Amino acid sequence: MSIESPKRLIPGWVWAALTVVVIALVVVLFFTDRRKTPDTSFEYDLSSYTQIDPKEVIFKEAGRIPLNVANPSAMAIGPDGKIYVGGENAVIVLNDEGKELARYAVKGTPGCLAAIPDGKLLAGMKNHIEVLDAQGSSVATWQDLGEHAWLTSIAVNDQNVYAADAGNRIVLRYDLNGTLQTRIGAADTARNIPGLVVPSAFLDVAFDPMDALWVVNPGKHGLENYRANGDLVSSWYRMGMDLPGFCGCCNPTHIAFRSDGTLVTVEKGLNRVKLYAPDTSLLGVVAPPEGLLAPGSATMSCDLEPPVRDLAVDAKDRVLVLNNPKHVILVFEKIPNREGEAPAKP
Amino acid sequence: MKKESNLGRREFLRGTAVAAAAGAAWMAAHPRSEATVWQIDPTKCVQCGRCSTNCTQNPSAVKCVHSFQICGYCDLCGGYLQPGAKTRDSGAENELCPVGALKRTFVEEPFYQYTIDEKLCVGCGKCVKGCGVFGNGSLYLQVKHDLCMGCNECSIARNCPANAFRRIPASTGYLLKTGEHGGKERK
Repeated sequence: MSIESPKRLIPGWVWAALTVVVIALVVVLFFTDRRKTPDTSFEYDLSSYTQIDPKEVIFKEAGRIPLNVANPSAMAIGPDGKIYVGGENAVIVLNDEGKELARYAVKGTPGCLAAIPDGKLLAGMKNHIEVLDAQGSSVATWQDLGEHAWLTSIAVNDQNVYAADAGNRIVLRYDLNGTLQTRIGAADTARNIPGLVVPSAFLDVAFDPMDALWVVNPGKHGLENYRANGDLVSSWYRMGMDLPGFCGCCNPTHIAFRSDGTLVTVEKGLNRVKLYAPDTSLLGVVAPPEGLLAPGSATMSCDLEPPVRDLAVDAKDRVLVLNNPKHVILVFEKIPNREGEAPAKP
Repeated sequence: MKKESNLGRREFLRGTAVAAAAGAAWMAAHPRSEATVWQIDPTKCVQCGRCSTNCTQNPSAVKCVHSFQICGYCDLCGGYLQPGAKTRDSGAENELCPVGALKRTFVEEPFYQYTIDEKLCVGCGKCVKGCGVFGNGSLYLQVKHDLCMGCNECSIARNCPANAFRRIPASTGYLLKTGEHGGKERK
């Protein structure tokens, strides 16, 4: 006896359609994000400041010197043209073409370097200066500056060594033997010294071609010119995110002078390298943000780790920029016939 | 033909007792793991803004917190002022925070102290980004556990593009930035 199957009340195509609808509902409800994206008022947009008119750029990248040292953090150029680069537990010595000539072992990572004419190298460790001879052996250790010290820059002339201590917000003048002579930059209303404002570990010092000492006052966004005895001679400050200004909490982070007296500055936050005339007017841009970072990341969280860790000018007046994440020294040369020359001296 | 086993009641009870004793011994040897909570790793956070829109709480249980130890007390604060602000005062047009949750108080020239009004903060992270780009990174986001519902599958964690959300022991609760120089030590 055959059993007759019951007659289907709902046709198959309806079941198929229902299945499709259920699947679509599941996908829409559980596998898609239909929430509103945050309003533009919640976006942090610096694009209008990171894009620089190419006409403003008066230098071009002429080369890159790759660095075979971990965490390159400091750079100096010796009187003989050698380039010294400090990194993790090492200082490497390069010729001006980037060929490694020597490698010195140090304990820790130098935050700053300076070469002195007798062939010795001063390495600014966290809280003291280490003196290395021409073979890289440590020959002296200068005074311990205490637990808050954070040496960030050293400048040397024929008689003095100036060390910038960002942790203690002071510049120390030593003689060439390491004896402390003067403390420069502390607030002193009687001497009309405003005091160094150093919100983060960036404080740079440099000599101009006339051997005048310039100290960055990063919290006031400018530079101050001091005598060896600590007297303040002059100062100029320029706060602002526009091209001529210094942005952020504490800029410029590094300075260096070219032989014509023009000033090269590095900023963090808006990572840019610029050139100023001796009269403090902006001459142009050495390196725009995109030249210092990977494409599409013209800014990056800096804290203590901005991409540019040091700056120098060599005997050919080329600008050398120590780029930590790229592990290179970026070499910039002036573009011929571009504006940006220092005003002719009378 | 296979013989059918017939477990008696006594054997069943004996087996159950042995299993219970073994379970108790195992539990004694392995104490219950500590309760955990969701938290943001500030070193991974990219301030995408999703914390403000993806939390089941409204406003979000994610709030900006501030490390006074790391702050530079700057006048030109990247976390407080709009990029390119015309003046450095507390005018609404100059403030970066879209809800006015970041407050500043004059300390002495040229230093200001910054505090967060938690009731206003929506956890968008805009000030955190500004502080990180231009400053010391003293502002950062954290899940406030007095506000967090403790969802097993956190909606923000699921959508976090940086995998900055992770579970940490409830006894710790927070991943705080501490120490001078942003908690980073120089060797």
